[in-house]
Amino acid sequence: MKKNIIMLMIICLVFSLVGCGKNTPTDESTITIAAAASLKNCVDDVLIPMFTEKYPDIQVKATYDSSGKLQTQIEQGADIDVFMSASMKQMNELAEKGFMIHDSIVELLENKIVLIVPVNNTKEIREFKDILKADQIAIGDPASVPAGQYAKEALTNLNLWGQVIEKASLGTNVTEVLNWVAEGSADAGIVYSTDAASTKKVKVVAEAPEGSVSKVIYPVGIVKTSKDEASAKKFLDFLQTEEVKKVFESYGFVAK
Amino acid sequence: MQMSPIIISMKTASAAIAFTFLLGIFVARWVVNIKSEKAKMVLDGILTLPLVLPPTVVGFLLLIIFGVNRPIGKFLLEFLGVKIVFSWPATVIAAVVISFPLMYRSARGAFEQIDPDLVMAAKTLGMSERKIFWRITMPLALPGVAGGGILAFARGLGEFGATAMIAGNIAHETRTLPLAIYTEVAAGNMEAASYYVIIVMSISFLVVALTNYFSLKERKYLK
Amino acid sequence: MGLLVEIKKKLKGFSLDVSFSIDGEYLGILGPSGSGKSMTLKCIAGVETPDEGRIVLNGKVLFDSEKKINLIPQERNIGYLFQNYALFPHMTVEENIGLGLKLPKIEKKRKVKEMIESFRLQGLESKYPNQLSGGQQQRVALARCIVYKPDILMLDEPFSALDSHLKDQLQMEILALLKLYEGEVLVVSHNRDEIYKFCKKLVVLDQGKSILFGETKDIFRQPRLHSAARIVGCKNISRCEIISAYSVRAVDWGLILNTEHPVPDRTKYLGIQAHDFHLLKTSPDAGIARQNNVIKCQIEKIVEGELEYNIYFRNKEFADANGNSVLLYKVRKELWDNRQNKGDVYLRIPEKSILLLE
Repeated sequence: MKKNIIMLMIICLVFSLVGCGKNTPTDESTITIAAAASLKNCVDDVLIPMFTEKYPDIQVKATYDSSGKLQTQIEQGADIDVFMSASMKQMNELAEKGFMIHDSIVELLENKIVLIVPVNNTKEIREFKDILKADQIAIGDPASVPAGQYAKEALTNLNLWGQVIEKASLGTNVTEVLNWVAEGSADAGIVYSTDAASTKKVKVVAEAPEGSVSKVIYPVGIVKTSKDEASAKKFLDFLQTEEVKKVFESYGFVAK
Repeated sequence: MQMSPIIISMKTASAAIAFTFLLGIFVARWVVNIKSEKAKMVLDGILTLPLVLPPTVVGFLLLIIFGVNRPIGKFLLEFLGVKIVFSWPATVIAAVVISFPLMYRSARGAFEQIDPDLVMAAKTLGMSERKIFWRITMPLALPGVAGGGILAFARGLGEFGATAMIAGNIAHETRTLPLAIYTEVAAGNMEAASYYVIIVMSISFLVVALTNYFSLKERKYLK
Repeated sequence: MGLLVEIKKKLKGFSLDVSFSIDGEYLGILGPSGSGKSMTLKCIAGVETPDEGRIVLNGKVLFDSEKKINLIPQERNIGYLFQNYALFPHMTVEENIGLGLKLPKIEKKRKVKEMIESFRLQGLESKYPNQLSGGQQQRVALARCIVYKPDILMLDEPFSALDSHLKDQLQMEILALLKLYEGEVLVVSHNRDEIYKFCKKLVVLDQGKSILFGETKDIFRQPRLHSAARIVGCKNISRCEIISAYSVRAVDWGLILNTEHPVPDRTKYLGIQAHDFHLLKTSPDAGIARQNNVIKCQIEKIVEGELEYNIYFRNKEFADANGNSVLLYKVRKELWDNRQNKGDVYLRIPEKSILLLE
């Protein structure tokens, strides 16, 4: 019995070591992308396969987290070539501190702040000011969720915030907000258009009116410590091609 | 710091324990009297499940039941005009389901440790089943039942996962203490969170002290 | 008036099959632990249900599987003294006694007071059961049964929970107290002495079956069955072969014994009670010994009791001795100490003391 357990442990150990072996470098070049979590589906499912098909000799690895955390990681010297942020704030801070190659930074995408309702909702919510018809409203907590900050900004500018907060259920992340609306628990919610595009259970009824909210820009840039700037540049250029723009749009982004 | 999460939590936990207490005792008595050992085991497993499942799983299951797009939730909404999700009753439902196993198990344990001869003796003395329950079973099971009730109350008070899923996080309505703490921490307001934390800890401590009081208190007839 | 019991019930490991009837006398149910004694009482009380059969008490049908009658315990009016007394631990003596009474308050109080006096429990009224001695607890439990005027009183191992040095005195007390009660009494015990003292009639239970039923004295004198002889406490039992109408061979003891009555054909064993040997004063002739049921004893061990010696011995003239060959002779100390023949010991088995068993 004891012997079996020891054997099992050895086998497990061997397997875990096998995993390490895969990392051996080849002739190909490898670039690492750090991308905001909201880009994960799009980058993982479509963009990386598309890119490697085009450039078979360049391997792409990707890591996803909140933009703020990725910023910290880059500051601490993480081995990252391309940074795709969900907000100008982090990109600008990194650029100021000299972590980015300045002229590589492009405003790649725009995400919209949208009002969503459950697909079969009967509350007749058609534009932002109709939001008060909802019994319960789902928004991100402005104190901790960026989408919530934008929602608050838009609603404040539309003079709705005071009434909305009375019946708002505050989510601690934007996915929670989305699911509340998708399940019909809340009659309306405010999320990014990319989130809205990720499920068929919600319907976008309106974008935040022009001027009511600051633009949500997704910039992209090459990290100064990149060891393969040429490949990183190829990836950046690839991101700005027409066919990739179409992919972004299918995920709810507006390509710049 | 706002008072509303404290008030909501106390209201929710009190309402929940009222249901849990009666339901727990009732179900425990029912299970204890089941003859088939197999049926007992299966039933016991199901009834204990909410205790061992992650609260998010319980929340998920509750959403499947009460979500407005689900049969029962839809029925309630369309025919009775009642929307359970994202309302205060949802916090109570979550707390009841999560805290039920604690109550049920304590009550069951308390009933099972009563000498069956006592109940038989009571029967031969002509006492009705109801009288036996109130005069013999309940008084003898009381310490265990009360302890279970207190634990269930504390668990209901602390319920977070399932509540967030079916009751949301609406200030003055469904934002209970645990939700308030989570919201404040997520926003980085450690100070506001710490006030709530102190309150929860005080209540919990009081509850544990009460439990010990009940379980350790020497009953006068045992002296 | 009387109690009739004919029940069968399948249980884990054995099945209960008990039948007897009594008519006013005290009945004892004797059997080793696990023979179904308590289950029988529980079936009569109605807290367990037999698979089939009938229970009739004073003409009232309590249970009848054919007629689908099964009264609940509350309707049976049976007093049940549990082995551990089953006093309600959270109630005082007074409350315990009065709990089952359905009487107006004042009357109830008077009745309880009366019982407390009859059972000599004065001063203990507001004590809780675990503040009482075993004997006091038993009196409370008995008072609780009797106050309720049951049609039958059933005592389950009434003395097994008591210290042995108190037993004799308490047994006498209980006997006296039971006089307060006019009705059937049923006593269950694994203790022969208790049954012998208490009960005129006896049922012997073995592995769930009632194997004998009759007068207690008769059964103790002539148990008729091998298993019954063991249960009533016959220590010396041997397999036997019938030699002639009046003589048998005790196979395990290597003896040929003459009997008083003709030996029934079904006889397979014979027994002799440990007290029934007769100590011979002088050594008999070998030939006479063989004809007169005399054993030349090879003493194995003597165990001293309070008043008696337990003498374990074998037949000295029997070569094929086995584990069953050792016999027990119980003898009063002065008789043994003053025996004249200090050499070889000879014991005679009187013809009338031989138990012929099936």
